[in-house]
Formats: sequence, structure tokens, C-alpha cells
Amino acid sequence: MKKTGRSDADGAVSSVAGCIRETVRRHRLMSLLLAAAIAGSVVLSLLPPLVLERIIDSLAEGKPIAFSAAAGYFLITAVSGLLDAGKETMITVFGQKATHQIRSAMSSKLRRLPSVYFIEKDPGVTVSRFVNDVNTIDSLFASGVISMAADVCRLAGILLVIFTRSLGLGILLAAVTPLLFRMTRVFQKRMLQAQMDGRAAVGRTSQQIPETLQNLRTIRTLRQENFMQKRYGDTIEEGFRAQERSNFYDAVYSPIIVTVSAILVGIVMAASARGGMWQTFFGMSAGTAAAMISYVGSFFGPLESIGMEIQNIQSAVAGVRRINEFLGEDERKMAETDGDTDFAENETGTHAAVSLRDICFRYKEEEPGILEDFSLEVQEGESVILAGRTGSGKSTVLRLIEGLYAPQSGTVRIFGKAPEEIPEEEKRRWMGCVEQQFHRIPGTVGEQVSMGDPQISRSQVEKALRTVGLWETVDQLPMGMDTPCTEKLFSQGQFQLLSIARAIAEDPKLLLLDEMTASLDAGTEEQVLAALEAAADRRTVISVSHRLNDMAMKKKARILVLQGEDEAE
Amino acid sequence: MTKEKMNKEKKGCSASEKTDRVLFYFRKEVWILLAVTITGILYNVGLAAGPWFEGQLVQCLCDILSRRRDAGDMLKLAAWYGAVIAFVQLMRFLKRLYVRKFANNTGKRMKMTIYRNLLHQDLMHRNAHQDEEAGAMMTRILADADACAEGMRKFTTEVFDTGVVMVAYLGMLLTYDVRLTLLSMIFPPAACLLAEKLKVLVTRNAALSRESSARLNSATLERVTHGLTYRLYGRERGCEKAYEADLTDYEKKAVRANIWENAMQPVYQVISMISSVLILWFGAQNVLGNGWVSWDVAAFTTFFACYLKLAVKASKVAKLFNAVQKARVSWNRIRPWLGEPARDPLLRKICSADLSVRSLTFSFPGQKPLFSQVSFQAEPGEIIGITGEIACGKSTLGKLFLGEFPYEGEILLGGKRLSGDGKAFETCTGYLGHQPELFSGTIEENICLGEPGDVWPVLRAVCMEAEVKALPRGIHTVIGSGGVRLSGGQQARIALARTLYFRKPLLVLDDPFSAVDPGTEEAMFSSLRIWGKESVILLISHRLAMFPQMDQVLWMENGRVTAGDHNLLMDTVPQYRRLFEAQRKETDEHEENRKK
Repeated sequence: MKKTGRSDADGAVSSVAGCIRETVRRHRLMSLLLAAAIAGSVVLSLLPPLVLERIIDSLAEGKPIAFSAAAGYFLITAVSGLLDAGKETMITVFGQKATHQIRSAMSSKLRRLPSVYFIEKDPGVTVSRFVNDVNTIDSLFASGVISMAADVCRLAGILLVIFTRSLGLGILLAAVTPLLFRMTRVFQKRMLQAQMDGRAAVGRTSQQIPETLQNLRTIRTLRQENFMQKRYGDTIEEGFRAQERSNFYDAVYSPIIVTVSAILVGIVMAASARGGMWQTFFGMSAGTAAAMISYVGSFFGPLESIGMEIQNIQSAVAGVRRINEFLGEDERKMAETDGDTDFAENETGTHAAVSLRDICFRYKEEEPGILEDFSLEVQEGESVILAGRTGSGKSTVLRLIEGLYAPQSGTVRIFGKAPEEIPEEEKRRWMGCVEQQFHRIPGTVGEQVSMGDPQISRSQVEKALRTVGLWETVDQLPMGMDTPCTEKLFSQGQFQLLSIARAIAEDPKLLLLDEMTASLDAGTEEQVLAALEAAADRRTVISVSHRLNDMAMKKKARILVLQGEDEAE
Repeated sequence: MTKEKMNKEKKGCSASEKTDRVLFYFRKEVWILLAVTITGILYNVGLAAGPWFEGQLVQCLCDILSRRRDAGDMLKLAAWYGAVIAFVQLMRFLKRLYVRKFANNTGKRMKMTIYRNLLHQDLMHRNAHQDEEAGAMMTRILADADACAEGMRKFTTEVFDTGVVMVAYLGMLLTYDVRLTLLSMIFPPAACLLAEKLKVLVTRNAALSRESSARLNSATLERVTHGLTYRLYGRERGCEKAYEADLTDYEKKAVRANIWENAMQPVYQVISMISSVLILWFGAQNVLGNGWVSWDVAAFTTFFACYLKLAVKASKVAKLFNAVQKARVSWNRIRPWLGEPARDPLLRKICSADLSVRSLTFSFPGQKPLFSQVSFQAEPGEIIGITGEIACGKSTLGKLFLGEFPYEGEILLGGKRLSGDGKAFETCTGYLGHQPELFSGTIEENICLGEPGDVWPVLRAVCMEAEVKALPRGIHTVIGSGGVRLSGGQQARIALARTLYFRKPLLVLDDPFSAVDPGTEEAMFSSLRIWGKESVILLISHRLAMFPQMDQVLWMENGRVTAGDHNLLMDTVPQYRRLFEAQRKETDEHEENRKK
């Protein structure tokens, strides 16, 4: 058991089972209470018909009943109801705690994933691991494993009581149950299939909506509304058919169950009435009969639930497998955070600002190499422009320096240190990066610059904004740098300026400029240019060639042309 | 309350048959609803048979044990019991099936109506809501249609299953013992009342939990989408901490919402079960002969079983009102989309015609004119190039010929004024915009949109014949949503092929060559010459390579338009000349680079 839930240095757990065990361990008392509540509610729910049996039997004999029997009946129902409520509550709490634990583990896993993961995987897929798959685990608790255990116990309990009171009915029920259970499962599977078909049709239908809206001009000018309506009608019809199928099974199921239980009761009553051997076999008093009718009525409820629960468990199993896959993804090499924090105080004069030696790099085993035996040395204060065609590896070089990628062979050193050794909270003091495009994060304008880093003071944000020439604009906003940042607040060019401010907020020694993809008009282009020049001032700069820094730094920079695998100066 | 709702619906009866009335949908399914009514009443009245028979069975057993009746009676009774229950359950099955059919039909009808409205919507409305969110919003509205149909189903079901059956049960209880019935009827309403009072808490907590869940989901999306950015700036641990806070908040709110929603249910049941003490006690007195009325054991069992079923039903009354409430919210959202939409005028066959534009002026509402006093004329077969700097309004000019915005001045095609009321698209204009506007069907479907005809000639015209032939499934290749499986250049050319396929007297092509290389551009331009012999073509572009071959050129700048031909503009408009020469130089450099 231990090996699946192995923990690493961070105390993070690497499987769903591990997360659940962790939850049980942390909330031991609650787990015990939960078990007790389930047991209690099962036992208590069996009692009321037995009390009823007593009452009716004594009435049939013409004896008066004690008030305590009537009150007892109510008390048992009440306590059983309250236990049920307690059980529900605890299942919910337990399920939420477990999913919390799983999501925490997944969140910390994100930090340890290699950068390639973020590039290759569609964010939607990863998010659905966090949202949909974890939700199936939640339902695994709420309406899966735990309630199934409770239902099985209840079923067994009812059968046990029936066997002690009426052997015949017990045998009848035991014979019928597997058949009905089979039918239940068949129905549920068909319904699930119909529902899945339905959902797929709904997906196809809703996909047509944005498409129609986007293409409305074409549809309308060409008067092809009927064509579209037919396309739409077809998918609606598919969903309609699937729904019809599911409706049939839905409608027919519980009438069958009720009829079967009525017939069972009828058989038992008729048999008990025959007297003699029949009566000893089915052996019933009037009270027992009433109790048995009540038991048979409540026998099929759990049966149906168990079918549903099996289904929930099945769908949760797929979710669990996908989450385990995610938690088991390969991890990247990382700095130990609690290491020497005086890293920033290292003497910098003795090392080259950036040194890449004999780098070989490819994204994947089977792909051709992007960089082969690539070397580059940049001294402090120097300015280097990387040029070359698309795909020649310019941006890759930057990502190697940034520590986002690790080379297959060769060494990357920044002021003598490997990038992965730089603790994350010090990273921005060492290097400032301007990304290809600005990524707006939720929060205020100031937070766009600081990235919500508490280490960066407001005056540092202001200084960075001043350097890129955006301070006046920001200062005039209704709440200054505390204005919430929206898409419409700034122009493309201004976001580009914000991106540069973000890079230099912690006054880095090294500035890395990736190719900017935004298309800017002439006026803004000049502004961005000025900002880049101001940002590059007194810093070591490595940039990927684009029209802006072509103009900005051609004069004083060293230009390095990358040509696929080879490299020439 | 149920009655009230039914009255309201009756009132709606007198109104005319309109698709935006709930009643319309009930009336459309009148036969199905009739079947539901008959089976529903039979089933629900028949339901009372269950407890009655059970009581009789127990009584019969008592009598047999005391030798007052024999086994034959019991056999008869049991057979009747089985038969009646089977019949009642058959009714139930039919009722359930038909009521679901009703909901399914209604949902389909509503969704088709909504879609028709979406297709025929007012252009001004569309221009006002033209963002990506519009698509998401409409998808939600369709989900609302389902919710509505579901609400109508639940309402119809519960009218019988709760309304009729409670009356039936109550009637039965009253015949057995009026006083005991009234006494035991105190508690179920009390439980309902409590549930109703606590509903505010339930909804509030559910809303809080949903909000928190939405926050958590968007935090997840943000963390994953911008994962590299956070890594680049060393903020991953910060993110993790913030995410943990979101998780804790969600856990707390989800638990709270769940407790109010589910864990309270047993409590309500306990309250309505208080009556069981009364029934057991006073009922026993009745049987023993010292109560209000005289009972046998059958009456005792029946009364008790009946009460238990009534209590369960009563606990569902609140749910019924919730369902109706929810459906009403959905209904209000979809109602604006359920009217009978105005149709565009039908497509007329229009022969080629002269275009004449006189003093055309346009401004967006409340803004200064984007351009004014534009005048030019063209004959069929002419290609007119329109260009200018970024944001000079050339794309908007193109859209005016579509009738998308109201304009001042005159646009006359064959002497007839083009509509500009923002209600419908013009029929005689073919348009190709920046977006290729492709569907997730096959290449053929995308070109002819279900109209019969051969698509190869137009594919040839846009230089795609060879490319399409090379595809394994040719013109039957499915191109994915929005044409994602094609390159940008291919998408643009398919869109142009479609515009040519539906030949119109006036073609507005906004930047048709932006994604193709110069060689293809030239070939496509000569196809336009051939295909556009009977049309006036307005070609909007910022690439000027083809402009020397245009019959006329319009240069737009600062709201003014200069018309002429290429040579004239080269001489008289310095900006045009500068732009043209800059582009030629770039092309030459590019060529040189390529040769190298």
C-alpha cells in the first residue's frame, strides 16, 4: 500500500489513493464518526417496521398498546433521520476535504512540471483534470463508494430480518433480486449510452451557435438561412432521438419494480393463508405481514441506488486514472528553495554574464535537433542580437537561459550559476524577460508589473512604469496603479510597454528580449523603441532580432546569425 | 398555489397563438397532454389502491388466523391486488413516457424557434453584440430552453403526482377518521413552512458556492494558461499560495451549501413524522374500540401506510415550486428569442447593373463622420481598388454596400437605391470580409452551401484545383470548425470561391489576397477579371501590387476620398505614391533574399 502513496521532499502526494489516505489520517476522528453514522443509520432504518409488527400483532389480538411503543416508533424514525443527516454532512465534508487535498497536490505538481508541458498541452485539457476529473472523485464519495457501502448494508439487513421472520419471502426475494439487479444494470447502461449520445449531440449543436453568429453575414447575404436551419435541425434531431431512448427506460423502470414487489407480496400473502406446511414456511402473523410489506417496499430503493453508484464509480475510475497520470508526469530539475539565499550577493565580476557551452537541444527524442553543439558567451554589459530564420532556434536560446528548457547536453551558466539553481524569488533580480506577447494576469495595473510579488514595492513599480514612459498614462487612471487591468484599458502598444516594465521591475542585471509579435502603428512603435532603449540602458542584453531592436541596437550590438543546426558569427 | 398557476395559464388561452407564450407550447402538444391527463388521473387515483389493498391483505390474514375467512378469499384478494397494481403501474409508465415526450418535443420546438430568431436577427442588434461572448451567451440560452422544457415537464408531472395524489390520499384519510386526519395534518405543512423559510439560506449558500467555484475554475485556467509567464517571473509559489486560499474558500462554501441543500431533508421528514405518534396511539384506540371511530386492523394499516406516503409527497411540494421558479427564470431569458422573426426579402435574380455612388457620408452614432461626400461610378466588368491608411474606414465603406449600416447620400445599383436601414442584408451584393466565415462541413458544402452545382470552376478560379484534388477526399474533405484544418491562405481562397459561386452584380472583397503569395495573387486577380465580367467589383486592400491594373482607385485619408486611376493618384497623391513604392521595394528585397 505504501508505495503508491509515496511522498517527495515537499510532502506532496503522487496519487489519488495517497491523497485520500492523507485525508483520512488528518481527519481520523471524522472518519470514525462517519463510519459510526453509517452503521447507526443502517441499523435504525431496519427497526420501525419491527415496532409496527409488534403494535399490529397486539392489536390483532385485541390487546391495548403501550404509548411508549408509539413514541418509540417515532423516536427511532427521528434518530435514524438525524443520523442520515449527519451521515450526509460528513460524507460531504470528507469528500470536500479529499478533493481539496487532491487539488492541492495537483497545484504543487504544476510547479514541478517541465515547461514543455505548458506549451504542448492544451490548457483546457489540464483545467478539465482539475475541474471535471476531481469532481467525479467528489461524486465518488457523495454518491459512490460510501453510499454504496451503506446501501449494501441496508439491503443485507432487510434480507436478514426477512429471513428470520419469513423464510419463504426471504428465498423469493433472494431469487428475484439478482434478476432485477441485472435488469437495473442493463437499463442504466442503455440510459447512460443514450445520455452520452445526447450529450454529444448537444455538443455538436452548441458548436453550431458561435459558428452561425460568426458567419451570419455570409449566411444572410447569400440567403442560405434554410441550409443552416436544416444543419441545425439535424443535430437537434439526433439529440431528440437519444432523449427519446433514455425516456423510455426512465419511464418503464420504476413501474416494473413496483409491480414486481406487489406480486411478491401477493404471492407471500396467498401462500401464508393456505395454512399447514405453507404457513410454517412463510409463517406470518398479521403484524409480520404489515412489516414485510413495508420491507419489500423499501427493498428495491437501495437496489436502484447501487446500480447508479456502480455507474458513478466507473466514471470516477476514469477520472482517477487521468489524475494519477497527471500526478505521475515527469518532473523538472528544480532549485531547493531553502538553500543559500545570499545567492544574490555572489561576486559577479569573475563570471561571464551568460555562458552556453556545447549545447545540444531538441524538444522531443524523435524530433530533429534545434541546437547542436551551440556555444555562446556574453560578457557583462554586452548587447547581443540573435538573428536567423524562423525555426533556427533564436527563441530556444533565450528559453535555455531563462531556465524554461534544460539542454540534453552542455551547460548553461548565468553569472556562473545554472538557471535551475536560481531560487524562484530571486529570479527577477538576475534576469528580466520580455515575452513574445504580453500576458495579462488578473489584478490591478500595478500587479501587471509586480506580478503580485510582495517583494516589489509600489515605488519600484512606479520606477519601472516611468522608465518605459507609461507612468503618466497610469497615473491618470481613476485609481492609478490600483485600477483593475482590463483588455480595453490599454492599446496593444501600451501593453507592450507594460511587458517591458514587468521585466525590469526588480532591476535585473540581464535583460532578455524575445521577438514581439504585436503589430504596432508607427507612433506606438517609436514609443516601444524608446522604452526598450531605456530598459536596455546599463544592462546586459540578449535579444531576438525584430524590427524594433534592429533599429535600436544595431549600432552597438554584436549580431549572431543562427542557421538551423550550425552557427556562424 | 398550483391552482393559481393553472388559472394564469387559462387566461393565456384567449391570447393569440404566439410562439413566445408558454401556452403555445402546451397547446401544440394537446394530444400528448390529453394522454398524460387520462393516464395521470387513473394512476394517481389508483395509487390509493395500494395502501387499501395492503390493509385488506393484513386484515384478511387476521381473519384467516381466527378462522373467519379461508385461503380462497386471500388468493382472490392477492390476485386482485397484483392485477390492480399492475394496471396502475402501466398507467404510470404511459404517463411518464408521454410527459417526457411532451418535454422533449417542446424543447426541440423552442430550440428551433430560437435558432430561427438567431438567423434572422436584426443587424443593428448584431452589430451591438458582436463579440465572442455572444456565442457563449446563445449557447447558454439554448440550455435555458432545455431547462424550460424540463420545468414544464416537472410542472405537468407534479400537477398529477403531487396535486391529484395528495387530494386522493387526503380524501381517503378523511373517510377513515376526520379528527385524526386533521390532527396529523398539522406537521407536514409545518415541515414545508420551515423548508420554505430556510430556502433563502439554501439559495444564498448555493449562490456563494457557485461563485466560489467559478473563482476557483478561472484561477485554475489562469494558472495553467499563463504557467510559463508565472515561471518566468518566479511567481509559481505565490500562485500556489493564492490557489490554496481559493481551495479553502471553496471547500468551506461547498460544504455549507451542501448541508443546507441535502442534510436538512431528513430533518423535515422527522418533523412530519411527529404525526406517526398520534396515528399509532389514537389509531390503536380506534381499533380497540375506545377511540373517535371504530376501526379494524385493515383500516389501521391503510391509514398509517397512506399517511406515510402523503408525508413523502408533501416534502416534495417545495421542490415543485422550486422547479417552476427555476423554469420561469430560464423562460424570461429565452423569451426575447421566441418571437416570429422578420424574414429578409427573398433572393431576386438580378442582372448586371451600373453602380453609382453619390455624396456618400457615414458616421457611427454619436461620432464625427468617418468619411463624407464619396462619389464614384462604375460599370459591370470594372474592378475598383480601395485603399488608405490603417483605420481610414475602408472596411466600413465596403460594409455600407451590404446594407449593414444606415448611411447618408446615395448608393444606386441599376438605378435602385440600396437599403441601409440596418434591418436586413442587401440581396444584390456579394461580400468577402476579413473573416473567411467557414463552417465545419466539407469543402463543397462551404462553397455552395447546399445549392446544387459544380464547384470545380470556382476552385480553379481561386487556384485551388490541384490542392483540393490532392486531398484524399477531394471536395468532400471536412475542414473542421471555422476551417481550422486548412491554412489561412486556403481558407481565404475557399471563401472567395464561395463569393464567386453566388455571382452577384456587386462584389465587395475586403482584403482577399492577404494570405496568398504574390504569384497566386496575380493568377487570382486575372480570374476575377474573367468571373467578374458582369459584376462591379470593389476590392479593398492595403497591398497595392495589383492596383496598377485596376480600372479605378479610391484613396481614403482623413475622411476624404480621392478617386482616379493608379497613374493619376501616383501623380497627385504623395501618400499613395510613397506607400506603393515602399511596398514594391520590400517585394524586391524579398525576391532578392529568396534568390540568395
